[in-house]
Amino acid sequence: MLRYGQALSAQKSIYSLPVALAAREGLFRREGIDLRVVIPVPGGADRMIHALHDDTVDVTHVAMPFLVRAALAGSDAVAIAAEFNDPIYSLVARPEIARIADLKGRIVGMADPGGSIAFSMRKLLALHGLRESDLRVRTIDGTPARLSCLRGGGCDAVPLGQPQDLLAQAEGYRLLGTSNQAVPEYLYTVTAARRSWAAANSELVVRYVRALAASFGMMREPSRRAAVVAAIVDITAVPAGIAERVLDLYAQPGRKALPSRGEIDPQGVAQVIAFMAEAGQIQPPLPAAERFVDLSYLARAGVR
Amino acid sequence: MRSIRIALLAIALLPAPVLAGANRDRGQDEVGPGPDEGPSYFGLVLDGAGKPVDDARVTATSRDGLAMVTRSNAAGAYNFPGFNRRINADEVKISCAKPGYRQLRVVRRPAPGGKPVRAVETECRLQKS
Repeated sequence: MLRYGQALSAQKSIYSLPVALAAREGLFRREGIDLRVVIPVPGGADRMIHALHDDTVDVTHVAMPFLVRAALAGSDAVAIAAEFNDPIYSLVARPEIARIADLKGRIVGMADPGGSIAFSMRKLLALHGLRESDLRVRTIDGTPARLSCLRGGGCDAVPLGQPQDLLAQAEGYRLLGTSNQAVPEYLYTVTAARRSWAAANSELVVRYVRALAASFGMMREPSRRAAVVAAIVDITAVPAGIAERVLDLYAQPGRKALPSRGEIDPQGVAQVIAFMAEAGQIQPPLPAAERFVDLSYLARAGVR
Repeated sequence: MRSIRIALLAIALLPAPVLAGANRDRGQDEVGPGPDEGPSYFGLVLDGAGKPVDDARVTATSRDGLAMVTRSNAAGAYNFPGFNRRINADEVKISCAKPGYRQLRVVRRPAPGGKPVRAVETECRLQKS
């Protein structure tokens, strides 16, 4: 049995798609893995690395900044495969707001100020001559809660991930810009394991990585599109048409949200470290990206 | 013990967003409890003499293998948010464990009749091994 940790939030978000699809389609079973998804309660990204250390889980889904922070605090956890790269966050506004510059003095529902969403949105605003102080910012965690704020009239604009950004546009709200216009590509979520545990269970880890790689392959396989759409509908509870558009968005040329086979680009890790440094979360000298990853399992699974 | 039960029941009947706040996920793009969420789970971990057992690992497992794991507090109390509404609450198993103990029995308390189940109470007994 392999205990895979996942925050309750991630379990219901698009970011669970790679592992959820692999589980639904029997890709773990094919590798001889009885994968069990375990949700630590109370949850939260900070808790996921802790769950590796108190033996609640064997491997875990985690956003890269939390892995970096835990490793700098002494954890031997490392990323063994990428789950999501370079997320797409859309700045979506009330229909009458035509441009980002028009947000001056308006209420914008923003994500956690220390996170990559708020960071990328600040960069996007700056491209259009706005600073956060030009706005009336409300901190609202979670894409669904921010969409509710927009729909309820409490916010004039909000950053939204998929599929809610597409849902909002279908309802008539206006897309002003995306995070990718303002920040370089970075590694978002990964599967992490303790180095010590992974070394002692290396064959199992390689088989896990192989199943994950097959899941990414399935997402790109036109003949399996219906299965992938069904998985997105199941996870995020959106209509199938919106799920189709999510896949179309990820398939656009130049988009790299979905890894090809779970590969980790150390440059994407370095970018996370740079974001954290710019946000004052870590101080120079900055650590090397290689400290937070172990590419050997990907290599043994045939992923380059 | 009765006062602990009453306090637990009060917690269990709090609106879902309040519980979600207590178990709040931060740092990723979280999703709060929605209309698709089933009943929550709560209860006590007790030893053979009926005394609370703290820091026991409590697991709620659905029939398809999805599990939530938490730890009991000093009063022996635990609580979980709901699984997806599609998961039948009758098929969710509660178990508890702690080094030096073995699980004695698990007793699910019947829900009040005639009302939709918003929270499921289950007592888990451990015995020193």
